[in-house]
Amino acid sequence: MLGENLSAQIGSLVDHLRKRDGSPSLVEVASVTEVLIATMQAYFRSLDTSIYREFRELSDYIAKAKGEIASLRPGDLQRDRLPRAGRELEAIVRSTEEATNKIMAAAEAIMAADATAGDFSALVSDRCMEIFEACSFQDITGQRISKVVETLTYIEERVGRLKDALGAELADTPAEDRRTGDAALLNGPALEGEGIAQDEVDKLLGDTMPQKPEPAPAPALAPPPTPAAALAPGGKASQADIDALFD
Amino acid sequence: MAVDLQMPILIVDDYKTMLRIIRNLLKQLGFDNVDEATDGQAALARLKAKPYGLVISDWNMEPMTGYELLKQVRADEALKKTPFIMITAESKTENVIAAKQAGVNNYIVKPFNAETLKTKMRAVLGDF
Repeated sequence: MLGENLSAQIGSLVDHLRKRDGSPSLVEVASVTEVLIATMQAYFRSLDTSIYREFRELSDYIAKAKGEIASLRPGDLQRDRLPRAGRELEAIVRSTEEATNKIMAAAEAIMAADATAGDFSALVSDRCMEIFEACSFQDITGQRISKVVETLTYIEERVGRLKDALGAELADTPAEDRRTGDAALLNGPALEGEGIAQDEVDKLLGDTMPQKPEPAPAPALAPPPTPAAALAPGGKASQADIDALFD
Repeated sequence: MAVDLQMPILIVDDYKTMLRIIRNLLKQLGFDNVDEATDGQAALARLKAKPYGLVISDWNMEPMTGYELLKQVRADEALKKTPFIMITAESKTENVIAAKQAGVNNYIVKPFNAETLKTKMRAVLGDF
């Protein structure tokens, strides 16, 4: 806008000088020059202000982002919190495995014992105590998991603040799964509500394989019940089928 | 024809605990002749060394997955008729379809119970 005004004003000054008869006087040249200088100064002043304002905003933005990144304490995360969380998770894996092995060893000892032997009752009692002791891992595991969750919450809060600070510049697009072929089929255990239940697996396989109707799943180990509508045609257990399994 | 309870069964899982659980469940069902492998590669070597009446395999193992093992078993003229049951936590529809296309005889989603294993084994092997 100002640039257009500037060229219009300079143009009118040049026209004025051209239309004059003879050479312009020194006073006229000086006054034209003054107008030219004043016009140029106004232009450069406006130019400086807008650039300065933009640089200032950019500087504030960088300072804010820097502050948010600093508040993430990446050094602390990398040096202490994340390795610690990793060690906690390893300890959880180890302790659950140890506990499972102790429980299974005790159960196997009970199963292998001679029920008619005189010391059978004492053996069962001792092994049951071992099972109770092994189950105490759950308390420690719970505390370890709390620590890991604490670290994740710490990261989540700070990343959220960083995202708020950077605003729309951070594209909020979901991460792309770049795996292909067989590797794309490795997803690990599903959370509740994800994946499909055994009944639906049976339905998918039912077209080509002989499938006996499934009994109602045991409450402790089986997946949650699925609505009847999701079951395979003919895959729903009748009462007679269930009864037959208890014969 | 009755199922031979002494037939060799190969169980494949990278978690020793799960191998132990399956072995105990099979023992309860009357199957005592059980061998173990901790990944597809080790399982394939065992399968080539000795005939098995059934393979029960996990999916997610390294270096060779149970899915790759299944494909290799089905591609091998001498092994291709070996009954194969997948027991896995991979419970997406695409996994089941892929396993079915690769020739799995049955598919059990973890966690599972003894009754499910028994039912699926009966569906594959016949009554025992």
